[in-house]
Amino acid sequence: MTRSALRGSPPERLRWRPASPPRSPRRQVWRSRLYRLDVNGSPYLYVAPFFLLFGVFGLFPMIYTALISTTAWSPRRPGSEDVSVGLDNYRALLSDDNFWNALLNTVGIGLVSTVPQLLLALGIAHLLNYRLRGRLFLRMGVLVPYVTSVAAVALIFNQIFARDFGLLNWVLSPFTDAPIDWRASKAASWFAVSVMVTWHWTGYNALIYLAAMQTIPFDLYESAAIDGAGRWRQLWSITVPSLRPTIIFTAIVSTVGALQLFVEPFLFDTTRNHNGGAEREFQTVVLYLYQQFWTNGRYGYAAAIAWTLFLITVVIVLVNFLLVRRIRSADG
Amino acid sequence: MRSAQRRALVGLLTVTALTLAACSSGGDSGGDPNAPVTLTINVFGDNFSLPADRSLYDEYERTHTNVKIVENRSDFGAHHQNLQARLTAGSGTADLEVIEVGQIAGYVGQPDKFVNYLDQGVDAGQWTPAIVARASTADHKALIGLPTDIGGLAMCYRTDLFAQAGLPTNRDEVSALWRTWQAYVDTGNRFLSRAPANVKWFDAGGHVFTGVLGNEKETFYDGAGELIVERNPAVRAAWDLTVGAIKAGQSAALPEFTPEWNTGFQQGQFATVTCPAWMMGYIRSNAAQTAGKWDIATIPGGSGNWGGSYVTVPSQGKNTAAAVELAKWLTAPEQNVKIFKTIGNFPSQKSTWTMPEVADFVSDFFANAPAGKIFPASLANAPAQVVGPQSGIIGQTFSDALNSVEQGTDPNTAWTNAMNDIKAATGTG
Amino acid sequence: MARRRVVGPADAAKWPVYALLIAVVVISAFPLYWSVVVSSRDQSAVGAYPPPLVPGGNLWDNLSAAYEQGNFGLALVNSTIVAGTITVAVVITSTLAGFAFAKLGFRGRGALFGLVVATMLVPTQLAIIPLYIMVTQWFGWANDLRGVIVPALVTAFGVFFMRQFLSSAMPTELLEAGRVDGASTWRIYWNVVLPVARPGAAVLGLLTFITYWNDLFWPLILLNTQNPTVQVAIANTAGGIEVDYSLVLAGTVIATFPMLIVFLLLGRQIIGGIMQGAVKG
Repeated sequence: MTRSALRGSPPERLRWRPASPPRSPRRQVWRSRLYRLDVNGSPYLYVAPFFLLFGVFGLFPMIYTALISTTAWSPRRPGSEDVSVGLDNYRALLSDDNFWNALLNTVGIGLVSTVPQLLLALGIAHLLNYRLRGRLFLRMGVLVPYVTSVAAVALIFNQIFARDFGLLNWVLSPFTDAPIDWRASKAASWFAVSVMVTWHWTGYNALIYLAAMQTIPFDLYESAAIDGAGRWRQLWSITVPSLRPTIIFTAIVSTVGALQLFVEPFLFDTTRNHNGGAEREFQTVVLYLYQQFWTNGRYGYAAAIAWTLFLITVVIVLVNFLLVRRIRSADG
Repeated sequence: MRSAQRRALVGLLTVTALTLAACSSGGDSGGDPNAPVTLTINVFGDNFSLPADRSLYDEYERTHTNVKIVENRSDFGAHHQNLQARLTAGSGTADLEVIEVGQIAGYVGQPDKFVNYLDQGVDAGQWTPAIVARASTADHKALIGLPTDIGGLAMCYRTDLFAQAGLPTNRDEVSALWRTWQAYVDTGNRFLSRAPANVKWFDAGGHVFTGVLGNEKETFYDGAGELIVERNPAVRAAWDLTVGAIKAGQSAALPEFTPEWNTGFQQGQFATVTCPAWMMGYIRSNAAQTAGKWDIATIPGGSGNWGGSYVTVPSQGKNTAAAVELAKWLTAPEQNVKIFKTIGNFPSQKSTWTMPEVADFVSDFFANAPAGKIFPASLANAPAQVVGPQSGIIGQTFSDALNSVEQGTDPNTAWTNAMNDIKAATGTG
Repeated sequence: MARRRVVGPADAAKWPVYALLIAVVVISAFPLYWSVVVSSRDQSAVGAYPPPLVPGGNLWDNLSAAYEQGNFGLALVNSTIVAGTITVAVVITSTLAGFAFAKLGFRGRGALFGLVVATMLVPTQLAIIPLYIMVTQWFGWANDLRGVIVPALVTAFGVFFMRQFLSSAMPTELLEAGRVDGASTWRIYWNVVLPVARPGAAVLGLLTFITYWNDLFWPLILLNTQNPTVQVAIANTAGGIEVDYSLVLAGTVIATFPMLIVFLLLGRQIIGGIMQGAVKG
């Protein structure tokens, strides 16, 4: 994990004040035992609430999902929950065109949304890092989308991306022959969904980058300037390398988010069939999971999708981690 | 999964979880019929099956002062999916749940999860055998739903747009234009050649497809419950006819129940729509500004049924006795007639069809079309259509596939994809 | 080249910077403005071409109609309860665990913390099937807020965040000084850690509140329209019950503006917080 740039020391009033008077030797023995118990034992007590609740509502359901994924459970067929099918669901998944299509959509939308999002965020952070008037206003303006709920974003953008009376098609009408049906092709629908994602998260990431930028010592820039490096050259040669830990972090978080993309495509498909477009143009893996679980009642199969997605996430995050680490360019 | 293992896991976790979060559940009321009771009812859509306002509930509460009714209305898909999940979980359903006819076969296969109306003194003879059969188990020993309305088919059309395109506007003349569905498509071509800009013949291919199949007894399943969708020539013929119409540019390509579809009604983006009785209420509440511009003609082919709903009482409920009373009342002839007159959903109670209030009813919104005559005529000829467990999902799949054709997908590819999707949805995986 | 007391690089010709940033702000705010425009008109405006770009006079009517139809009164209360309870619980459990991971040595610390980090990768959706069965079938919490709250009482992100915060914000000497004086771990936690942790806890609280106020996936599965959170309510209005798009967007206005008001009031703190804790890693 990356180094934290949090600074600041605790205020003076927090300095420890001696509180305990001297005690008798026997008591001291007892106390020291208690003390050791406290030192060795209490940490477990402090992490216990997390692990206990996580165990019940996180780990256990995960394992249970794995078990369900080996059954043919469907609520429409009473008794089917006890029918074991081994790894059949996983085998079926590998030859399921709809699953591969959903994976392609997920990765595609992920790339189209994450890469521009992080680059934009970097650029915006760079701009915000100038000494500016109205700094708070500008920062808040940039962050407004983050406090808007994804559901609201999707509904508002649905209207903007409507085929017949949509705002965007109106803006584009001088340049297009016919209104674009934003749900009718992969290219158009990926773009539309990515716009929602990018709009929602760019400002947040920009502030994270800004925070990291402000910890970069100024003399680095100064000496670069003396060497004749321009503003944008400095961004690439000093800022980006210094931001490497932060960039890795945001890239991983965005990647995990992209792999779990659900609400935007879910609401963008206004038919509510969870098909993600008439030809599944923008059906993501989680939307497909939701459709199999919720609409088609295929619990076993949906569980297999869930576990496969988890494994894919782990692999992609590892690859991502290795790739982004290479950003350490110039001064490595 | 091994059941013993699972039970052990479940047991272990239940104990842990219960100690973590103290769980409380309310007490159960006894058998006193006059004890105060709150009945919950889950309904889908806007004015489908039961009116979206509280008029009926208010009336029931006035005559049954101990009863309070709380309605929960959600969209079609979410409603039925939630119901299945909550039935599986064994808790969380409402006291009454409305189920659409395309979905009910899937629930008929789980009769133990619903109250059997035949044990509750319901006389199934009030309805036609076909209506009763759809909500009954194969052995006819259990009836899980009481019908609210049925979706006899007609064709709604915009007289103003017809006039602009030089077509007749009188409903008898219009009916004569399309004795068959092929004639309907041909008329569509005539319309398009003179229609105003950006006005199409119909809203979505899926609705034509549904309308064509309305004349068939067996569509997706045969009488024995076998899935025959792929080899049924009637299905393929309906598909081909619809695809031909789409290729001729007749479809506005507005998927049903989307905001775009609603806007299409309001803006007059299409001239005709396959019109089950409940569609009258939908158009009226959705595009009030088009009042008087609509009329109703006979459906091509002369008959058909699309939609209609049933009121069920899940057996997991705490107030099943009171819920059954309410279900009986909601589906009684008097309420059938009220619903028909206020929102247009056609009565399922056969005895009402000849009552003057129904038979002589004309709809002012639809240029005084004699709705009370049009829909029974359509139903009288309609075959008792077979529905199977996944009929609803299969119909959806076809709607989506036809929508993809509207968006430019090759029809053969769309057909193949649809067949694969249907296999996946109806399979055992 | 400016060389004054600058945090970042400075420059004289800054108008392009302002222009670009203002463009970003406009793009950020436009969709919300647009939702106000649509929800301040009647349904015919949705089909109007060219679309209207300035608000009309129906805003209040539409807001109150959407408020009634969408059950928003209850939804706002529910969302406050859900997000509030989760926030308090997450802050408490995360501060405790974060302290232990950051400052206390114990056997298995590395492995357990690794587990926390790993769980951040687990998609929430992975667990929904069993979670649904547990929550509804075993606990009987279908349509019940407890079913939304209890599974979210701890988050791996929270633990991770507080651990990172405390390991740099709290000098180890303070802990050692306390130990030398014979103070119990709990006393150290109470008297030293909590005051130091307060800024980080505030940030975590705000982020958690925003996250759960805006959460849709799980509440949508568990709750119905009779007992919704605001996000469930707006998702439902768009699902074919509410056919009037100006009312759908009026719903999004109702759902969004409470958060915007919080944001306007606490904007400085939220931004300071995100940036302070932001270098999360």
